[in-house]
Amino acid sequence: MSYIEFKNVNKEYKIGEITIKALENTNFSIEKGELVVIVGPSGAGKTTTLNILGGMDNVTSGEVIVDEKQVNKLNNKELIKYRREDIGFIFQFYNLVQNLTAVENVELATQICKDSLDPETIIEKVGLKERKKNFPSQLSGGEQQRVAIARAIAKNPKLLLCDEPTGALDYKTGKQILKLLQDTSRKENMTVIIITHNTALAPMADKVIHFKNGRAEKIETNEKPTSIEEIEW
Amino acid sequence: MRKALLKDSLKEIRNTYKRFISILLMAFLGVGFFAGMRAASPDMISTIDNYFDSQNVYDIQILSTLGLTNEDIEALEQVEGVKKAYGEYSEDVLINYEDTEIVTKVLPIDNINKVALINGRIPQSKNECLIEKAFCDRTGKKIGDSLNIEEANDSIIKEKRITIVGTMNSPLYVSRQRDTSKLGSGMVSYNMYLPKESFDSEVYTVIYIELENSKQMITDSQEYNNYVQEVTTKIEEVKNKRETARYDEVKAIAQEKLEEGEAKFEEEKTIANNKLKEAENEIIEGEKELNSAEITLNNKSKEAEQKFKLAEENIKIAKSKIKEEEEKLEKEEQNAFSQIELLNKQKQDLQVNLQSINTNIEELQKKLDIINESLNNNNLTQEEIASIQVQKENIEKTLTNIKVQKTQLESGVLSINNVLEKIQNGIKEGKEKLEYAKTTLENNKKELNKTKELTNKQIENGKQEINTSKKQLQEGRKTFETNKVEYEEKIKEAEKELLNSKQKIQEIEHPTWYILDRNSNPGYSGFMQDTKSIENLGRVFPIVFFVIATLISLTSMTRMVEEQRVQIGTMKALGYNKAQIASKYLLYSGLACLIGGSIGMIIGFETLPRIIWMMYSMMYVVPNFVASFNVYFAILGLGIASVCIIGASLYTLLKIVGDTPAQLMRPKAPKSGKRILLERIPFIWKNLSFSKKVTVRNIFRYKKRVFMTIVGIAGSTALILTGFGIKDAISDILIKQYENVYNYDMQISLKSDLEETIIENFVKNLEEKEEINKIAEANMTSGTLANGESEEAVQIIIAKDEKINELIHLSDRKTKKEVQLEEGKIVITDKVAELLEVKKGDSIILKDADGKENRLTISDIVENYIYHYVYMPKSLYEQLYGKYDTNVLFAQNNVKDEQEEELASKLLKEPNINTVSLSSNIENVMDDMMKNLNYVVVILIVSAGMLAFVVLYNLANVNISERIRELASLKVLGFYDKEVYDYVTRETAILTTIGIIFGLIGGYFLSIFIVKTCEINVLRFGQEIRIPSYIYSVAITVIFTLIVNIVTYFALKKIDMIESLKSIE
Repeated sequence: MSYIEFKNVNKEYKIGEITIKALENTNFSIEKGELVVIVGPSGAGKTTTLNILGGMDNVTSGEVIVDEKQVNKLNNKELIKYRREDIGFIFQFYNLVQNLTAVENVELATQICKDSLDPETIIEKVGLKERKKNFPSQLSGGEQQRVAIARAIAKNPKLLLCDEPTGALDYKTGKQILKLLQDTSRKENMTVIIITHNTALAPMADKVIHFKNGRAEKIETNEKPTSIEEIEW
Repeated sequence: MRKALLKDSLKEIRNTYKRFISILLMAFLGVGFFAGMRAASPDMISTIDNYFDSQNVYDIQILSTLGLTNEDIEALEQVEGVKKAYGEYSEDVLINYEDTEIVTKVLPIDNINKVALINGRIPQSKNECLIEKAFCDRTGKKIGDSLNIEEANDSIIKEKRITIVGTMNSPLYVSRQRDTSKLGSGMVSYNMYLPKESFDSEVYTVIYIELENSKQMITDSQEYNNYVQEVTTKIEEVKNKRETARYDEVKAIAQEKLEEGEAKFEEEKTIANNKLKEAENEIIEGEKELNSAEITLNNKSKEAEQKFKLAEENIKIAKSKIKEEEEKLEKEEQNAFSQIELLNKQKQDLQVNLQSINTNIEELQKKLDIINESLNNNNLTQEEIASIQVQKENIEKTLTNIKVQKTQLESGVLSINNVLEKIQNGIKEGKEKLEYAKTTLENNKKELNKTKELTNKQIENGKQEINTSKKQLQEGRKTFETNKVEYEEKIKEAEKELLNSKQKIQEIEHPTWYILDRNSNPGYSGFMQDTKSIENLGRVFPIVFFVIATLISLTSMTRMVEEQRVQIGTMKALGYNKAQIASKYLLYSGLACLIGGSIGMIIGFETLPRIIWMMYSMMYVVPNFVASFNVYFAILGLGIASVCIIGASLYTLLKIVGDTPAQLMRPKAPKSGKRILLERIPFIWKNLSFSKKVTVRNIFRYKKRVFMTIVGIAGSTALILTGFGIKDAISDILIKQYENVYNYDMQISLKSDLEETIIENFVKNLEEKEEINKIAEANMTSGTLANGESEEAVQIIIAKDEKINELIHLSDRKTKKEVQLEEGKIVITDKVAELLEVKKGDSIILKDADGKENRLTISDIVENYIYHYVYMPKSLYEQLYGKYDTNVLFAQNNVKDEQEEELASKLLKEPNINTVSLSSNIENVMDDMMKNLNYVVVILIVSAGMLAFVVLYNLANVNISERIRELASLKVLGFYDKEVYDYVTRETAILTTIGIIFGLIGGYFLSIFIVKTCEINVLRFGQEIRIPSYIYSVAITVIFTLIVNIVTYFALKKIDMIESLKSIE
């Protein structure tokens, strides 16, 4: 059994009279320490998948297993615990608390986890030692995303979920961020799932899942993932 | 406005109904409170105005020191503006009830100041009255029962037995306060109305004036006051003339009376002199008569003596004559005896002869008998018969001889017997005559003695009579002398009196007219003062609401506009102009304001004045409250609310609609974090936990919201505290008065005019009673303190001795140090000192009930809460007014509260006690009043609570919507609901705490301000808010915060984490 299993997952949203099928019989599996890139057009179900994996949304039917845990059967409180201990989330718009400095934003996460890492070390790791006492507004977008990554990693999660982490960043900065994610996955043996609409990023992943119309249409495995520095787009 | 835009606006309301309602609620509270509080005062005024108009209450009253006359009325009715002038009377009387005297003011029923009949009917005859219902309640008298008015000198009310035919309210006495009186306890207890005919007086006590146009004006309005002032000025013009006329009249009457008096005096003097002379003459005559009587008596007694002497002499003579006669008679007797002897011898001789003759006769007879027998013997011969015949003849011859002899002898004896008899008779006669003379003499003697005795007695009687007459006469003279002295004294007195009267005429003061308006009526002026207090309250309270309403709308609208930045930008890009864009938001806030304001206005107008009235109706008797819809305040209230709410929206809009569409459509950079000052103080900052640091930073991040929270919470806490504070202030009065100042349980007023010794003994008696602990004697009268123009009624207490110190504590208000009375100076209570603006050491005028004025120095100002008092040392009183006498006793008892009533009624049975008032009773009455105050507290708490709720709720809403991303992210990070809740509400808690602290400070000052504005003249409200009130205020605010927090908790729970993924709008 894989580390992460998505079995026959269906997700429907009801908006008034209309039912929208966001996921339809989706199946895939991810192994521990894999760097996974999920690609696909808007509305293909990428974000829904991520939300479900992140414990922010539940499924209509089907099974979701993360590290032998049946996420789809967790109640609200267990879900929070799951998010708290097992998931690191990286947002497109960083979602840093504006009122906290870089290191404090990391602390915000670590203070609620049992096996958290030292915020200072993490901040150093993401290369923000000099700027750790700056507020988000005093940091560039890339720097902010680094803080966000630091915040996610610091929790020492089982799974790092990234929703368009470079969506709001320029090419160069985006690349740096992706590098950081790739390195983290490699060095820490962390399972990382990145959502992007940019198919060019696929080579950097161990596994690429293509989404279309609410289904994981194609799952590719790269035996030899390309280092992000070598990828151009 | 375009249709689409309108539709959008209305939809916006439906979608954000919470926000809409919070603005609406603020408008509701602000306008409602404003309208209700502001309208209360005009409503109260128009109510009393209606009442006064319907009862035809005077506009101006005129009092004079010498009374008022019909001429005065005529003169006044000539004054322009005066519709009618009414001459009225008033008189204080004592009504006997059980063993007490109730001081009652008697007033006439008339067409001015018409009484409002409650029960029964209007009196029709002189001895029927209307009386206050409270009187019936106290005495248990009913309609149809009778009352006795105590006799008094110079009373103008002649009827002494009055029947109650109804109960009434008098418009002249709208409050519970009654006038002061010279009778009894010094205060009128109840008013009574009698028909005008029941008053018998030449002059009026007062003239009430009804003005021409006053009914159309609202009482105490500027217009009304000016009008009254105008007419008053005109009355001033006739004032002097009338005063002089009255002076002349009174003087003339007095002069006339004096002259009459003098004439009468002279007349009476003459009569008295005559009478005196007559009496003297009578005495003299009496003496004369007595003298002559004495002389006559003496003469008579002398005469009688002489007569007696004569009579005695005669008796003596008679006695000697009798003796002579006796001697003579004896001699004669002796002669007679010897004659008788002789005669008897002769007689014996004769008798012997006779006897011998008789024997001869017998022998002869016998011989004859024998002869006769022999003759008869037939045997005899004739010779023998002739011899015997011859013998017989011889013998018969001899016998005839002897018989002659015998007859001779017998006649001799007879004559001797005759002589003897004659002699014996003569002797007898003489003896008898003598005897008779003797008896006569004896009788005469007896008679003389009797006469003598009688005469002596008569003389003695006469003498005695004369003596008594003499005594009587002496007494008569004595009485006469004393009468004469008395009379002379009386004359002297009368002369003195006449002189006095003369002097008094000289002293008749020029009368002064007092022209007074309605403000001189204590009930009315108290009422007006209270309407002013309410007006002041109405000015202050709504400000709090409006300020907060403004802040709330400001934050809400800012948030709303910010949320819709992109939409505004889009509209701008589509070509809508500024006004069109703004109109949506203005419509939104305007509608909230109008709807909330209108509802608030209607509810405010209807309820608040009524509730306030309800409270005041405990103190005032003014019927038929009018809750009006006051257009002015309606427009003003809505206007202010609009300015606040719509203004706030406009302010936010102006900032935003000026931006270009591009600027607007770009997401607004979230508020950046900033280092705060606290971070530069490492030893504090480092010791704060992470979450606290976050909280502290957040507080400094959203300054507007922080400000609003603090102001909102502070405002509502302040209002709640003010509510409790007002209650404390008023309930404090009692506690402080009866714990700090008065230590007595009973105030006993004594019957008037008791003798000193009676009081002394009575007090001693009471002191010995087991139930009585301490007792002190005092004299209590009413008076007036005056400083310049301002005057205040006071009670003057003069203690008999030191004992009072244990029952009434005089202590300095500030230092609480005990205060001693100083010789020749007075001590006054603090409130009156404040009202009259006098300090320790100042001098002040004290007027007594008779209007006598004295300027006195204040030695101290003491703590006091109810009414005003002047404490005067006994020595000063005696110096000013003469003899001190006790009329009231202050006592402390030993009995439990429940038994006090019993003790009081027991004491009331004592003949010397007039009334017994229990402190606990007064406390009970006040307690009832306090209960009404709870309404105020409830109103304040409810509205403050609503305010707190709206503020906090709104705040929470804004807080959440503004930080929704952040909160969603936290959730994604795996924060438990409780942690997210804490993250948000820790701020609220801190802000609430700060708000509460400010609120307590603000509430303290607000309640002092309100207590000051509401303070009644005769009361000093406490100015301390008690600890529990602070605690309650905090607790109530905290409870509201908690309620809002619970709501927040669920709102937070509902936050969708997906929000965190959305791009920033």
